[in-house]
Amino acid sequence: MEAMSGRHGAGTPAQQGAAALAGKYLTFTLGTEEYGLPVLKVREIIKVMDITQVPQVPEHVRGVINLRGKVIPVIDLRLKFGLPSQEATNRTCIIVVDVAMVAATVMLGVVVDSVSEVLSVAASEIDQAPEFGGRVVTDYMLGLAKVKGTVKILLNLDRVLGADREFVAH
Amino acid sequence: MTGATDWITRVDGLLSRLSCESLIEPVNVERLREQLLAAAAAIGESDDSGARCLADRVRQASPAVSPKNVDTIVKEVLSGWEALREGAPPPVVQAPDEDLAVLADDPEMLGVFMGEAIDHLGTIESLLLQVESAPGDVKLLNDVFRPFHTIKGNAGALGVTSVQGVAHKVENLLDLARSGKHAMGSDECDVVLKAVDLLTLMIQELPARIAGEPFTDVKAQCRGLIGAVDALIAGGGRAAATESQAPVVAALSEADGGSAPQRRRDESQSAVKVDTRKLDNLVDMVGELVIAQSILAEHPVLLGSRDERLSRQLAQLKRITSELQRNAMAMRMMPIRPTFQKMSRLVRDLGKKSGKSIELTLHGEDTELDRKVVEEINDPLMHMVRNSVDHGIEPADVRKAAGKPALAALRLRAFHQAGNIVIEISDDGAGLDTEKIYRKAVAKGLVPEGAPMTPEDINLLIFQPGFSTADTVTEISGRGVGMDVVRRNIEALRGRIEIQTVRGQGTTFAIRLPLTLAIVDGILVGVGDERFVIPAVAVNESLRPAPGQVHSVQGRPCMIQVREQLIPLMHLAEAFGVTGARQELGDSTVVVIEDNDRLIALVVDELLGKQEVVIKSLGDVFGHVRGVAGGAILADGRIGLILDVSGLAALMGKSTLKPAA
Repeated sequence: MEAMSGRHGAGTPAQQGAAALAGKYLTFTLGTEEYGLPVLKVREIIKVMDITQVPQVPEHVRGVINLRGKVIPVIDLRLKFGLPSQEATNRTCIIVVDVAMVAATVMLGVVVDSVSEVLSVAASEIDQAPEFGGRVVTDYMLGLAKVKGTVKILLNLDRVLGADREFVAH
Repeated sequence: MTGATDWITRVDGLLSRLSCESLIEPVNVERLREQLLAAAAAIGESDDSGARCLADRVRQASPAVSPKNVDTIVKEVLSGWEALREGAPPPVVQAPDEDLAVLADDPEMLGVFMGEAIDHLGTIESLLLQVESAPGDVKLLNDVFRPFHTIKGNAGALGVTSVQGVAHKVENLLDLARSGKHAMGSDECDVVLKAVDLLTLMIQELPARIAGEPFTDVKAQCRGLIGAVDALIAGGGRAAATESQAPVVAALSEADGGSAPQRRRDESQSAVKVDTRKLDNLVDMVGELVIAQSILAEHPVLLGSRDERLSRQLAQLKRITSELQRNAMAMRMMPIRPTFQKMSRLVRDLGKKSGKSIELTLHGEDTELDRKVVEEINDPLMHMVRNSVDHGIEPADVRKAAGKPALAALRLRAFHQAGNIVIEISDDGAGLDTEKIYRKAVAKGLVPEGAPMTPEDINLLIFQPGFSTADTVTEISGRGVGMDVVRRNIEALRGRIEIQTVRGQGTTFAIRLPLTLAIVDGILVGVGDERFVIPAVAVNESLRPAPGQVHSVQGRPCMIQVREQLIPLMHLAEAFGVTGARQELGDSTVVVIEDNDRLIALVVDELLGKQEVVIKSLGDVFGHVRGVAGGAILADGRIGLILDVSGLAALMGKSTLKPAA
């Protein structure tokens, strides 16, 4: 992660960053976009189940589910990224991940459109996330992976979700 | 005499170790100890037969081939005794380098030893407080003596001679006391309590010592304590003759059965320490088992079956699962008794220090709390007790002048109320001086001059950081730290504090804690697609609203008249943004809930039944959702939110719906 701080500089830091990012990613889709999560962050993938709504939380927090006796929060990544919400299909999944929040590491469910595969990404295939201007926040991208002619956005979930320390606005 | 004590300790330790290594039969060790004491008594006399006899006995008691250890002890016995008799300092002045190698090699043994010893010390502490109020009770004294003896023995066997030495000395005193040769006055209890503290410290620091980390040097304290015990024993004959003083502080217990201490110790001895995470996992899995069982029981194939054996077996399965669940849940709960007992000790010490006579009564020690809560509540409770003793309770002369009994009453009470656990600390002291608090707060700039405040608001100012109305800073309290910490700790447990005070008559602090992980008896209600659990204790009644009962304000149904009372309506679907709820009030059900004498009529779609559920936290990520106490896993595996009634009342205060004035 530290290597990423040299985003604006070209050459060595970027190469180092790419090397640190090489590894296995679980890829999934949101609409037409493809994303990747470091596979070590993923605990399991479950089918969409009934989600219990919780009041007073942001829209992208869908609620809580019972994962074998544990209550875990579920996030809708579509809503978090500002994509239109979509009815669940039989390909819709919840990826259970470990996310480092400010206080502690917590288990979270992430609703995605479909899970694709586990992909090995080499350092040479990884590009830094470019600056897109103000409209797109690149903070939570680890980088972009060009594999088999498609571009997959590698996510740093800690950044995506860890930023809101608590979901409830007081 | 100190030299002799050390010598005895040293030899005693060696004996213990020999018995531990199975070189001497335990029976013989006891006999040798008697001999040892006899030999010690003979120090100063020219006759050295005692020591010789002892040395011989050690040889006899050991197997024919005398191992090195036995030689060491024989040499120790003889040379030590010789040196003492000649008045020279004994060869080993005070067990200089303890041999902690045994423990260092065996961390598991260390853990067991520490755990047992700390448990024993806890038992001793609470028993001693009873001894103070009943100094002559031989059975009690025996109960105190035995754990000391065990600690001494274990410490000796493991080579922790410093602990052994202190325990041994105190054991001597207790031995005299239980055989009626020495009266247990309050000085004696003081010394023994000090010994308990010292031993606790020494034992707790063992891992640090073994690891070579810095630790408290307690040598001087040990010596001081041993000297104090010796002095007491020396003056003991006289004390026994005189009637012992009335105890300064008596810890009275509501349910004080004679067999209670005995039973408790048995429990602690057969206890196993388990990581709470393992326990949580077990509870989670059992919960899932119950759900799986109920899904199975509802299965149409099984319901349609006419096989009697099958249905019998299913019933059996159900019984076992629910029993299992009950047991699993009970494992995380523990009574608040140990915490309360620590407070008895505190009150006793504080009373002595401040010269106030206080009688502490405990109520509801068997109230069970979640383990975590019990652990976390200790510090705040201690601060509050300190505060009550120091600020609340007046000195005896002031009390007399005010026409109150000199013996002040302090009461600790724990009970369940409206889905909360309430811990109350009441004193019959001076009460809060609202005027003074206000002036002080203004002087400290905590509130602007002339700010309109209710007396309740003013009283709550004592929980502000840096606030203290005490005119003098005493050793006990008055530095203005404490009460704000109390509030922070309690808020961290999602609890709150209330104060009731009457000037001149006393103050009651009530700590209300939610049942974080307690089982709650809930009423299951449905709203739209969602289901909610309302703690049953908060539910007054439920009813189908008749058209004439509901009163509208500005076209919205806002009030319901139940008998003579107007109760504000709260639409749960609206408050929580649930879609698909019934629109017609006539089709809905109204559940009347109560929070602190305030009634709310909750509008829900339907009542689904009564169910015991486990409160599960929604997790830190949700922070504090107003009106929600947690989640419960329902019979079908889905989660239902458990309503927090006082939170709902607070939500209501914010909404446009106002309660009837």
